[in-house]
Amino acid sequence: MISDARVEVRLGARQLTRKFGSVVANDRVDFSVAPGTIHAVVGGNGAGKSTLMRILQGVDSPDAGSVILDDQPVRLTGPADAYARGIGMVHQEFMLAPPLTLLENLILAREPVVRGGLIDWRAAQAEADRLAKIAGVEIDWRRRVADSPVHVRQILEILRLLYRGADVLILDEPTAVLAPLQIDELLRLMRKLKAEGRTIVFISHKLEEVMSVADAITVMRAGRVVTSTTPDKTSREALTQAVIGDAALEPRVEPRARRPGAPVFVAHGLVGVDALGVKRLGPIDLDICSGEILGVAGVAGNGQDELVECAAGLAAPAAGEIAFAGEDMTRASTARFRAAGVGYLSADRAQEGLCLTASIRDNFVAGRERDPAFSRFGVLRLAAIAERAQRAMDRLSVRYGRLADPAGSLSGGNQQRLAFARELERDPKLLVAAQPTRGVDIGGTAFIHARIAALRDRGAAILLISESLDEILALSDRVVVLYNGRIVGKLGREEASVERVGRMMLGQEAA
Amino acid sequence: MTRAFSSAPLGRALQAAAPFVLAVAIGAIVLAATGHEPLSVYRLMIVEAFGDERRIAATLTAATPLLLTGLAAAIAFRAGIFNVGAEGCFYLGGMAAAIVGYALSDWPGALSIPLALLAASLVGGVWLIGPGLLRARFGVDEVVTTLMLNFIAIDLTSWLVNGPLLARGSANSATPPIGASAELPRLLPPSTLHLGFLISLALVIGYGFWSRISVAGFRSRLVGLNPRFSRAVGIEPMRVFLSMMVASGVIGGLAGGIHTLGLVHRFVAGFSPGYGFTGVAIALLARNSAIGVALAAILFGALSSAGANIQLFSNVPIEIVEILQGAVMIFAVAQLGFGWARRRAAA
Amino acid sequence: MIDLFLHAAILMTTPILLAAIGGLVNRIGGIVNLGLESMMLAGALVAVEVSSATGSVSLALVAAAAIGALVGLAMTLVITRLRANEIIVGLGFSVAVAGLVRFLLKSAYGVSGTYSPPGVAMLPRIDIPVLDSVPILGAVFSRQDPLTWLAWALVPVVGFALARTRWGLRLRATGAAETTVRAVGLAPLTIRDASTVFAGALAGLAGAHLSIGVVGLFNEGITGGRGFIALAAFYFGRSSPARTALGALLFGFFDAAQIRLQGHGVPAELVQTLPYIIVIVVLTGLGVADRRAARERAL
Repeated sequence: MISDARVEVRLGARQLTRKFGSVVANDRVDFSVAPGTIHAVVGGNGAGKSTLMRILQGVDSPDAGSVILDDQPVRLTGPADAYARGIGMVHQEFMLAPPLTLLENLILAREPVVRGGLIDWRAAQAEADRLAKIAGVEIDWRRRVADSPVHVRQILEILRLLYRGADVLILDEPTAVLAPLQIDELLRLMRKLKAEGRTIVFISHKLEEVMSVADAITVMRAGRVVTSTTPDKTSREALTQAVIGDAALEPRVEPRARRPGAPVFVAHGLVGVDALGVKRLGPIDLDICSGEILGVAGVAGNGQDELVECAAGLAAPAAGEIAFAGEDMTRASTARFRAAGVGYLSADRAQEGLCLTASIRDNFVAGRERDPAFSRFGVLRLAAIAERAQRAMDRLSVRYGRLADPAGSLSGGNQQRLAFARELERDPKLLVAAQPTRGVDIGGTAFIHARIAALRDRGAAILLISESLDEILALSDRVVVLYNGRIVGKLGREEASVERVGRMMLGQEAA
Repeated sequence: MTRAFSSAPLGRALQAAAPFVLAVAIGAIVLAATGHEPLSVYRLMIVEAFGDERRIAATLTAATPLLLTGLAAAIAFRAGIFNVGAEGCFYLGGMAAAIVGYALSDWPGALSIPLALLAASLVGGVWLIGPGLLRARFGVDEVVTTLMLNFIAIDLTSWLVNGPLLARGSANSATPPIGASAELPRLLPPSTLHLGFLISLALVIGYGFWSRISVAGFRSRLVGLNPRFSRAVGIEPMRVFLSMMVASGVIGGLAGGIHTLGLVHRFVAGFSPGYGFTGVAIALLARNSAIGVALAAILFGALSSAGANIQLFSNVPIEIVEILQGAVMIFAVAQLGFGWARRRAAA
Repeated sequence: MIDLFLHAAILMTTPILLAAIGGLVNRIGGIVNLGLESMMLAGALVAVEVSSATGSVSLALVAAAAIGALVGLAMTLVITRLRANEIIVGLGFSVAVAGLVRFLLKSAYGVSGTYSPPGVAMLPRIDIPVLDSVPILGAVFSRQDPLTWLAWALVPVVGFALARTRWGLRLRATGAAETTVRAVGLAPLTIRDASTVFAGALAGLAGAHLSIGVVGLFNEGITGGRGFIALAAFYFGRSSPARTALGALLFGFFDAAQIRLQGHGVPAELVQTLPYIIVIVVLTGLGVADRRAARERAL
């Protein structure tokens, strides 16, 4: 209804390339979305989907190639430009003002006014009702966003795009935060909007949704488009294969030599909630034995963050129990977890794994400053700390200037080695390793993997959480797969193939 | 979030001095606009502050309360707590020391002085337990609560000094004087410089060592730099928040106690001309370092003692000092550096 | 007796209310304004000066609002553009402007503390003919000055503007979700600046009320911490102008009462602490409620 019916490509990209340093996030991407269709973009973590969407929305610009709008190459100057051309996006983090009502959020910045800045609430309400009717949803517009459930917020975001005149809607993993019934509602809404003549670009990890709602599917992997197809020409199996790719595996570390020991970490009926109080994990049962690496595979946002927080003692579970070394630790403080022998490698290196503004030496000793090796009568033994720190740095081949330099002066890979050195030095009974090699180069990755395996061989239990399937398979003695917060598969090292785990991650197979 | 790490000492020194330089420039504009010659005023101020032994002693006397209020602010800021409550602690500590010093008039100084200072410290520490707990338990913004507590402390002591504790026969709002034995000894008579200066300086030096080599100092710095990181390595930020808040109150109370025993020898209405707030400016300027606190306290002490004198000799009003002090506060938190102050800019 | 008291209480409420409404708007826009005291002080001085020089009350009020707005502008630019902590900057302005005002008194007028130029035109009192003689009602409504009427008129007007106008909506959104406001294409910092300038103008008028509305001269202690009492009033009022007005009225009554209570053995100093205690209680209540809500959500 808005776009010209004769246009073949409403939105797309031609030979689009975007590099970040040496990483090619988008490599000669060709992409075209026909008007009035739902076009799904599928791919694993780091496939380049988000970069492409940012460019299509004008937030980022390509190094080479171009964005296509209505069959013509264009240069978008920014998101406002994209809006003006009818393209809007719903991000994973909602852009809403919580204390304001749904209606107020809808009209913000485009208020219908009578005169003197007075808002014409009747017109606003009428427009809101019209949009809700188009979308086929019931909305109490006077409720505040803060009091509205997450799926209503999402619908509001979509309706706001319509309100602002967008006819191309880019939805970035819209179903990741929704419960199954709400997902059905969202898919209905998408179909409805398509029937109205709108164009939708839909990013998802979940293949059954994609197969049921999309008119066209583009699969990306490692920055490239690997498949462009339609649901009737493909199958879930073929898509899964395309997403996972050829199994170009990293060399695996040696499997454990001994039989694993007694369970060190036991979680029973564990339920985790995120900062907003939404349940993201569980209930699950999980145990990790000494001398084994348990890998947790899954697409990001399927409960891994909550599992990490509970296992490292950063957040108490919403329900269930945690025992560590035979002791109940369900409500224990982080400090008690640490004292009991839990080590933690944070996925958020810059904010949580290290204190970048403190020195290398301080980062090394942090949390153990009370240890008799490092202080006596409340006074730090600076020489002893420096000596130990230096030895630990040498052992992990950290390249640094001086121990007094801030941790932020190190390169990414060396920062991770520093964090790792600190945790290794504690000689943990359990190491919770979240994305241990994120942003680390190949050599550094192999090094860290070897160290994790060595720690296991000394009898520690390792909980490995990674978005990289390669990493999970290279290290794990056992693999569990999280999907929608539940364990959908438990596999031994031999059973865990790329195909099987990959399918389970995409919700395709239950073990 | 990533900050440029300027490792050049000269660059860092310039960065640290920038707020003061800007404030001096603003002061110069005010002076020039009101028909004064800024350069000669500033030159005169330097002479009046440091010209001879007598003037230096006056400067150090004026710096004494500021050493401790600056320290009180610094020890809290360093742990990431924006405590602006030293002013209230100063009043309460001063009052407590005046009461004890008066009540124990007959006791020897070796007993009454420590007891009076202990009382002052205790009152100051207890006063800030409330905001410390509120921050640690419920996330209540400590800036507003401690600011409000300042006003409450000032009104409370003002009531005490006008009512229950008013010295008999005194027209002014003042408590009876403390016993002569409870007075801190003078260092360089006839100047008013007293032992309190050395106590304060020793505490600042002690803080310097504490912050560098003690376990508690290490922990509180980490918590101030990054509470999330601290928690992940097993240091409980809430506990550090509370203990540093109380430590800050203890020092603020002690500052008032020393001011009573060393200089005023009683508690009077309007006990502090804003020493607590100057302490905030000092800690900001010093970036919480011990040397910085000492230098900035002497700087502000010099300003106020010189300000009093130039008013006499050159008709430049002493309020130029307040203008400089306010401007230092403003520029010290403006984005001219200062990573930790940014955490609140968004809040 | 009761009439005199009521009239005094209303009179005392006016400056607190004006500044509190400004502070409320400012806070809704996302800045807790601790510089209100400094803006009041500047307004009080300028009002006396302009009133004495021109004999015009209107000009004096315009000048007082303008100087308050100017101080507000300076303060807000440091906060929003140099990303400085609003609390420390507010305190810094309180200290610096108080110093500047006293400096100017001595340097420009050669007086210390009190500045009383000749021929200060005072705010007129508006008599309401019939009401005037009615007890209580007359004391409340008659013989009040225009700023008092303005202050009370602003309560519903600001409430209406916040709820029903474009600017109100954008201001509320700015205070609640800066990134959202930016994402929909507005400039949150500019909106925030405008709210501080508005607060400055009202605080300037509040200062004018103290100087040319009540005493007819300027004194360095004329604001007497009312900028911080205003802070207490809008904390008390949360985001509601009506509740803020109630808080201001309460503190105005305290103000009027303490003069009277002194004769009856109730210490004025203790009455003065009430606004500050109320702020702490309100903040504590909000903190506890927030924690409870977060816990409930988690279950």
